[in-house]
Amino acid sequence: MEKFLFLIRQDLIDREKMKEEDNQNIRVMTIWMESLAQAGNHLASDALLNSGKYVGRDYVVSDGPFIEAKESISGFFLILAENVEQAAAIAQTCPLVLTGKVVIEVRPIMVLDHEQFS
Amino acid sequence: MNNSVDTVQQEVDLLYKSHYGILVASLLKLFQDHSLETVEDLVQDSFAAALTAWRKDGIPSNPAGWIYTVCRNKGLNKIKQSKKISSLSDEPDLTAIAPVFRESALEDPSLQLLFACAHPDLSPKVQVVITLKYVANLKVEAIAKALGMGIDGIDKLLLRARKKIKEEQVFLKEPELSHLNHRLPIVHKIIYLIFNEGYKPSVGADVLNEELCEEALLLNKALLDHRLGDTATAALYALMLFNAARFKARSGPGGELLDLEEQDRELWNKPLISMGCEFMKQSAGGEMSTYHYEASIAFLHCTANNFQSTNWTLISQLYLQLLQMNPNPFVELSYSIALYYSGQKVKALDLLNALRQHPFLNQYYLLNATLGKIHYLEGDHEKARQFFLKTLEQTTLKREKDFIRRMMEKLN
Repeated sequence: MEKFLFLIRQDLIDREKMKEEDNQNIRVMTIWMESLAQAGNHLASDALLNSGKYVGRDYVVSDGPFIEAKESISGFFLILAENVEQAAAIAQTCPLVLTGKVVIEVRPIMVLDHEQFS
Repeated sequence: MNNSVDTVQQEVDLLYKSHYGILVASLLKLFQDHSLETVEDLVQDSFAAALTAWRKDGIPSNPAGWIYTVCRNKGLNKIKQSKKISSLSDEPDLTAIAPVFRESALEDPSLQLLFACAHPDLSPKVQVVITLKYVANLKVEAIAKALGMGIDGIDKLLLRARKKIKEEQVFLKEPELSHLNHRLPIVHKIIYLIFNEGYKPSVGADVLNEELCEEALLLNKALLDHRLGDTATAALYALMLFNAARFKARSGPGGELLDLEEQDRELWNKPLISMGCEFMKQSAGGEMSTYHYEASIAFLHCTANNFQSTNWTLISQLYLQLLQMNPNPFVELSYSIALYYSGQKVKALDLLNALRQHPFLNQYYLLNATLGKIHYLEGDHEKARQFFLKTLEQTTLKREKDFIRRMMEKLN
């Protein structure tokens, strides 16, 4: 099994406006998370707040960019899957993907083998 | 007259149940230019044709052969139709007709299909759905009901799966012998998931759920009978038998849900429990799988005289072992419950409160139901009420809501 990071991307302005729907979405995700855990694919997951800070060499910006970026990360899953094909197939079963509310970016976790080290 | 019509219907249904997936796979191999959907349509049409023809002329002596021949002819006709437009190509070699895979490491065509469905590129959910469709030979409506999904949802899943099955030649290429070992854990997981779908309380009729559990047991038994399994296969079988033994005791006379403490242990199926013990013994010796730990926990529940005298300490240790193999917040919940009943109440509550902080788990029905019950047992009825009220919003199942309402009636 290999590890993958699922970055949940959605319109944060919409998310900010619809707090009640966000709770409903989280409930739907809980059921999905349970099915992932049962199938042995779930390692960790969390939802993120819309606020935060944006840090570069010469600046620290609060809040702004998250909302202005419109589509940004609202949560993540750390997943175990057989390969990237299966990881993508699992992401496709997300109920919020099926209803078009979020997009999932599927990224393999980098693993270096010994040959690459030496 | 009516009677004979029913006999024909029964024969057709039985044949569907035993041969649908095998027919689809055989024809897919014969007509590699046809899409999986086309082939499935041919098979469906042939079953419909059988119903009409057999009602008129009686059931033939070799019903499966009859259907196969009709399917094959329909497939050939389809090719001839398209040839009127396109150029002539080679006739398909009818002498090459063979059940699914020729010279297979697996003799039983259903098992060949089972290992084919355990394709590593497919999501577990799709693996479950296609196993139910092509190995257990359930119809889409039945799968939808059993999994609590709409027919649309299953159709969508199948649409993508069919494309993948065709592209990757999932049903055409026999997984090599060396791959069978790699696929065995996936096959176990499919069986485990099918059983769990049947075992959890759902909206639908219990009969359908029981059928899913039976399918899972049958698939697992086929692995054992053909000596394809390992010690994990035996552990998984033991686990399912222990759970199946308690299937009927989980609801009361009015269909209401009963938790472990309320169940009448006299209703637990003792032959199934002793069969489970038998397979527990057979599962010893190899590497410990999650199924070994889960089966051990189920064994301790099944063999305890009552709820209070259950060996909760050992159960909590087994849950901890499971967590060390794989982090899983839902197993953490079970671990906390076992800790609580083993007397480690503070540690249990600390863990439960930590789980509550997770935004997803906070919305989990069983977490809040557990917190409600524990606060009730600890005498804090006000807090218990708050958790139960929260729980009521988190399930749409009437039986689960009724269970919580009954718990709330006990509060001051």
